Amino acid sequence: MHLVVCVKQAPDTEALIKLKPDGSGIEEAGIKWVMNPYDEYAVEEALRLKEKNGGDVTIVSLGPARAMESIRTALAMGADKGIHISDPSLDRADAFVAASALAAAIKSLPHDIILCGQRAIDDDSGQVGSILAELLGVPQLTIIMKLEVAGGVAKAVKAIEGAQVVLESALPCVVTAQKGLNEPRYASLPGIMKAKKKPVDVKNAAALGISVEQKARIIKMMPPPQRAAGKIIQGDDPEAKARELVRLLREEAKVI
Amino acid sequence: MGNLLVNGRDQRFVLYEQLGVEKIFQSEKYADYSREVAEMMLGEAEKMAVEDVLPTYDKGDREGCTLKDGVVSVPQCYHQLYKKFCEAGWIAATKSPDIGGQGMPVTLFAACTEPFNAANFAFMMYPGLTWGAAGLIEKYGTEAQKSTYMTRMLTGEWAGTMCLTEPNAGTDVGAIRTTAKRRPDGTFSINGTKMFISSGDHNLTENIIHPVLARIEGDPAGTGGISLFIVPKYRVNDDGSLGEANDVVTGNIEHKMGIRGSATATLNFGENGNCIGELLGEERKGMKIMFLMMNEARLEVGMQGLGHATAAYEHAVQYAKERVQSRPIWEMENPAAEAVPIIQHPDVRRMLLWMKSYVEGIRAMNYFIAYCVDLASIAGTKEEKEKWFGMMELLTPLSKAFSSDMAVEIASLAIDVYGGYGYIQEYPIEQYMRDAKIACLYEGTNGIQALDLVGRKLAQNKGKNAMNLFAMIGETCQAARKCEELKPYAAFLEEAYTSLAGLTMKFKDWSASANMFIPILNARPYLMIMGDVVVGWLLMQAAAISAEKLGSILGADGLSAKPKRRAEARKNSEAAFYEGKLAAAKFFATTVLPAVKGRCRSIEIADKAPLEILEESFSV
Ligand SMILES: Cc1cc2nc3c(=O)[nH]c(=O)nc-3n(C[C@H](O)[C@H](O)[C@H](O)COP(=O)(O)OP(=O)(O)OC[C@H]3O[C@@H](n4cnc5c(N)ncnc54)[C@H](O)[C@@H]3O)c2cc1C
Repeated sequence: MHLVVCVKQAPDTEALIKLKPDGSGIEEAGIKWVMNPYDEYAVEEALRLKEKNGGDVTIVSLGPARAMESIRTALAMGADKGIHISDPSLDRADAFVAASALAAAIKSLPHDIILCGQRAIDDDSGQVGSILAELLGVPQLTIIMKLEVAGGVAKAVKAIEGAQVVLESALPCVVTAQKGLNEPRYASLPGIMKAKKKPVDVKNAAALGISVEQKARIIKMMPPPQRAAGKIIQGDDPEAKARELVRLLREEAKVI
Repeated sequence: MGNLLVNGRDQRFVLYEQLGVEKIFQSEKYADYSREVAEMMLGEAEKMAVEDVLPTYDKGDREGCTLKDGVVSVPQCYHQLYKKFCEAGWIAATKSPDIGGQGMPVTLFAACTEPFNAANFAFMMYPGLTWGAAGLIEKYGTEAQKSTYMTRMLTGEWAGTMCLTEPNAGTDVGAIRTTAKRRPDGTFSINGTKMFISSGDHNLTENIIHPVLARIEGDPAGTGGISLFIVPKYRVNDDGSLGEANDVVTGNIEHKMGIRGSATATLNFGENGNCIGELLGEERKGMKIMFLMMNEARLEVGMQGLGHATAAYEHAVQYAKERVQSRPIWEMENPAAEAVPIIQHPDVRRMLLWMKSYVEGIRAMNYFIAYCVDLASIAGTKEEKEKWFGMMELLTPLSKAFSSDMAVEIASLAIDVYGGYGYIQEYPIEQYMRDAKIACLYEGTNGIQALDLVGRKLAQNKGKNAMNLFAMIGETCQAARKCEELKPYAAFLEEAYTSLAGLTMKFKDWSASANMFIPILNARPYLMIMGDVVVGWLLMQAAAISAEKLGSILGADGLSAKPKRRAEARKNSEAAFYEGKLAAAKFFATTVLPAVKGRCRSIEIADKAPLEILEESFSV
């Protein structure tokens, strides 16, 4: 079974994010970068499928030079090889351009299941997996919490409001991983030593033959509005204070 | 940011900027290593420490170990963690790839295990003793012993211990009474009681391999008559399967002040005359062999001290930023002023900076010692090998005793930062203090470490090791004097280390005089002075590097433009980091180092009151 996993490097959830003064993006200096946590589930699931069915796992990542760290981490976890799409013209790719680049790389690979994280924790757009499936012309199973593959069919469980749906798809297909799909393993020390020797192809836009226009453009990034200071209701009479609280909740905050 | 355990930026500073650990990756032995590999390993270690080890810290303490129906159970949450820890390959990390290890440089291993020790070192005792015991078999075992025992210990399938202590033989190991009687097949029948044995019995693994010190019948008394035996809990059949129980019976487990997740057992060997041991190495060489494990174990205990110190400090800093209490001193006259986070109060800042400078200095010291081990192992010439090996030997008692003694002080001060909350079990900080104390006691009490330093290590290599150390400190003083900002501080280091060197010479002169017991009497204070001087040295070395780096961040104005520096440090975490290194070095140089001269003098006075006071007079 040929498994492909799309991996993105993202700032650590603990990282203190600061915006560039011109609002064009975030300050990258001093940030700790990690593999997008949802992608870790995707890698783990691919490794488990490989352990069960045999085959190979290829990691594809789009990003600047540092993205190689996440590819190596996935290789250290047990993936077999990597493709690093690295091109300055793609550094600020939107979801469509990113999916186009990934699709171009994946087309040339044998693929039965393509796994992605359901979204990346940096831009939170959650579109790449779906666009990728469209571009490859294959079905998509998104935000999946449980996956079983047998007899050429992928059976997946997805949570919707108040219920679960079970989806089935023929292969090849795209699966995007939700938290809870599995518990990602650590890269073991032997795995880390082996990862260095595993092949990683570095490709630029020209090599992939892609030249697509961005569909979306970031105009400006802004921090969320500062929360206004809280209001303390003064007075000695609890009943009056409670009445005032209800009035404020109703008339000012408009929540009840 | 921060992870409440370890400052990853400072770890990297020591590794890459201060020691220059990448140099050893050029050697043939460590050719498979690179900064990239090191970074991945550090990253994985930190992640596992935070996500899997730390959650077992207070749980393990509350649940503790139990002995019921002859079975010692460790805290439930240790089982899953132990499995993950072994699967990730940490037990054999520094071992050679030929025997299933990763050949990791000791320096990198020290850095990787720091977050583990900080997260829960009671847990770390289990793998720690296993890799130590496996190391003995690796070095002194026969091929059969290696394939029977060592290989399965290095995967974590079986665990290990070290069995020295007996009721009548603590510090004085030579007094042991456990005996070994020859059996016709060349094995030995072991009989005796060992106590305080860490990981002595537990249910993490199905078998436990005990290296046991015992005296073969007829061998002389004292350490020269002691041999070392491999004694498994369960015998091993020829096909490798587990055989019958080997008459190693757990008498009890201790109820302890701290490290309650680590089982400390009394083991009765051969109560029924049916305990079989195999000789490890040569007869009557047991103490020599055991010392191999003990020397490594002492460095590990130093790392335990560091682990506690750093975790206590990181917790305290975080707490001090969050706890709001009291108006600041500059608003004393203004009753309307708001209370501020306690990190703004001068006394709290002083405590935090004191802790920071010790933690970072002790980190640098322990990594440096590990680096000496690596440098010795890749040295091209005999002189170089001797130099680095000697340096490691000299500093081993400092690693063990200074790190652990200071860890208790640092944990204690962390409680002060928390105030009353620090004393309450809901907060993690009291446990660090309880746990930290054991590191001062086992592997030879800190008093004994000091005797090792003063009685043996100072004179080793005709005193050359100590001279090398002083020479390196002198070089740092010179480098620091070239930096305008550090110049006045370098003078304090200079005064401190020359005072210590002077005292060291006195010790030598006294060795055949009426004062010959003065060094023995003052070994512990001497060790603590030396620890302070080494920490002061490494902090100054770090400051000189930091001043340069900070200079290049600041550009043309350099370090002299103070307002610009503060503004830069507020927005640039790299600048803030280097400013922190400078602050720690200056603080230490002005608050700790000036006392060194007086402390040396207090020993040089050579008063003998503690020797002369009658026992009757201690408590009448
Ligand atoms: C939790 C725990 C775990 C342990 N784990 C192990 C283990 O795994 N394996 C093992 O073999 N042992 C272990 N030990 C035992 C430990 O190593 C001993 O407790 C330690 O060596 C001290 O021995 P003692 O307790 O008998 O103290 P003593 O030897 O009675 O010492 C008491 C005091 O006298 C001082 N003293 C003794 N002799 C001298 C001297 N010649 N000069 C100056 N001062 C002296 C000591 O420094 C100390 O202050 C453990 C102990 C504990 C508490």
